[in-house]
Amino acid sequence: MKFIKFVIIFFIFFYNVNIYANEASQWLKKEIDKILISYQNPDLPNENRFLMIEQTINNNFAGAGIAKFVSGKSWSSASKETKKEYIKLFKRHLALSIASLMQGYSNQEYRLTTSKFDEKNKVTLIDMEIYSDNSTIQVTWRVKQSKDRYFVIDLIVADISLVVTKRDEFNSMLKTVDYNLKELNNKLSQQNESSYNKIIN
Amino acid sequence: MQNIKQIFFIVFLTLVSSQIFAAASDQVKTDSDDFETTTVEEEIYDPLERLNRAIFSFNNAADKIILEPVAKGYKKLPSPIQSGISNFLSNLRMPLVVVNQLLQGQGKNAVESTGRFLVNSTAGVLGLIDVADRIGLEEKEEDFGQTLATYGVGDGFYVVLPLFGPSNVRDTTGMIMTMLTDPVNAYAVREDEGWLVPTRTGANAIDQRSKIIDEVNALRNNSLDYYAAVRSSYYQNRKAAINNTDDDVLTPLPLISIEFE
Repeated sequence: MKFIKFVIIFFIFFYNVNIYANEASQWLKKEIDKILISYQNPDLPNENRFLMIEQTINNNFAGAGIAKFVSGKSWSSASKETKKEYIKLFKRHLALSIASLMQGYSNQEYRLTTSKFDEKNKVTLIDMEIYSDNSTIQVTWRVKQSKDRYFVIDLIVADISLVVTKRDEFNSMLKTVDYNLKELNNKLSQQNESSYNKIIN
Repeated sequence: MQNIKQIFFIVFLTLVSSQIFAAASDQVKTDSDDFETTTVEEEIYDPLERLNRAIFSFNNAADKIILEPVAKGYKKLPSPIQSGISNFLSNLRMPLVVVNQLLQGQGKNAVESTGRFLVNSTAGVLGLIDVADRIGLEEKEEDFGQTLATYGVGDGFYVVLPLFGPSNVRDTTGMIMTMLTDPVNAYAVREDEGWLVPTRTGANAIDQRSKIIDEVNALRNNSLDYYAAVRSSYYQNRKAAINNTDDDVLTPLPLISIEFE
């Protein structure tokens, strides 16, 4: 009887965990397809394509949380206005980074292979494979649920975390400006302008 | 009757637990000064940063002027030719991969890699066609840098090598060991065909670079500090290769707050 009890608990527990993982996968697929549609229309001007991507990313990435994480120790000493400005600039930076990654898109196919719920950290991990002629790129999405919505909190491409890389990169830049977030905002604003021009032209 | 009660109780508990999960993810909170990750991130030791940045700028210019245009040209070759070159170069690396797998105690992987080498060198026409992959013998790379790491050798400091790019003391040592022990290179030198060694290195560089054109451009065009971004990417990638672990297990999970989205 003890064994049957164990099997039942085990089965029901993993059934629930899998439901979360599958729901998150379906949501992610829908959002990825929204971005891909903008690339499948060759008549769409680059500005409009970027706006579509930016909107999708702003709606689905935990942009403010990632921005805060990436800013590291400079966050606590910054003023409210600086933080607000930084979050706005960072969200655009994130959208530009992803739009730039997508520039090489030429109708490659992708497949969401596995999804699992990390019970300890309350994060769903969704693996994706992107197929090109000669290689396959492995991507893992880290997705968190909050108030009945899902948010992407990190994207790992070929073992490299976008968020961890951004944090190292920003930390290196912040060191040169004595961890002054306001100074970083100036540099981020310039970088965004340069990246945007490259994307729309 | 007692058993039925127990089952009802379990089902009830589980249904409630699903609500708890949903609620728990809402309650994830971080304080304004909480920027932790699930695993400890090591600070990258880079005492030669100034010199490294200078070499990095040189490499970046060389990449823009030579490697990237050549890699873009290579990408225009018909797909089967690109795959053939890539498979051929990968097959040449296989004997040393087997040696490193054995040194790391990966007996099963070493047997599979030996099988890959034999099948691809024969049925795969000197490694041009990856027949082994189709029969389930997957490619797994191991090098001396990874072997040294499994023996407990630390990273050492970060270095940027002219033309070869990001590395560290341990991986540079591993690279030199590879150069000295590679049987294909040794054979070429013994037969007075030393030119084959840099040709092979160059072909490898073009093949590898052609696979990451968009990724490198995205990083280059959107980084506040491209040097720091490459350094971070290098360390994350090597860490995953050394541990042979799923990236999602190994990569630090940012404890990100989403309550103020």
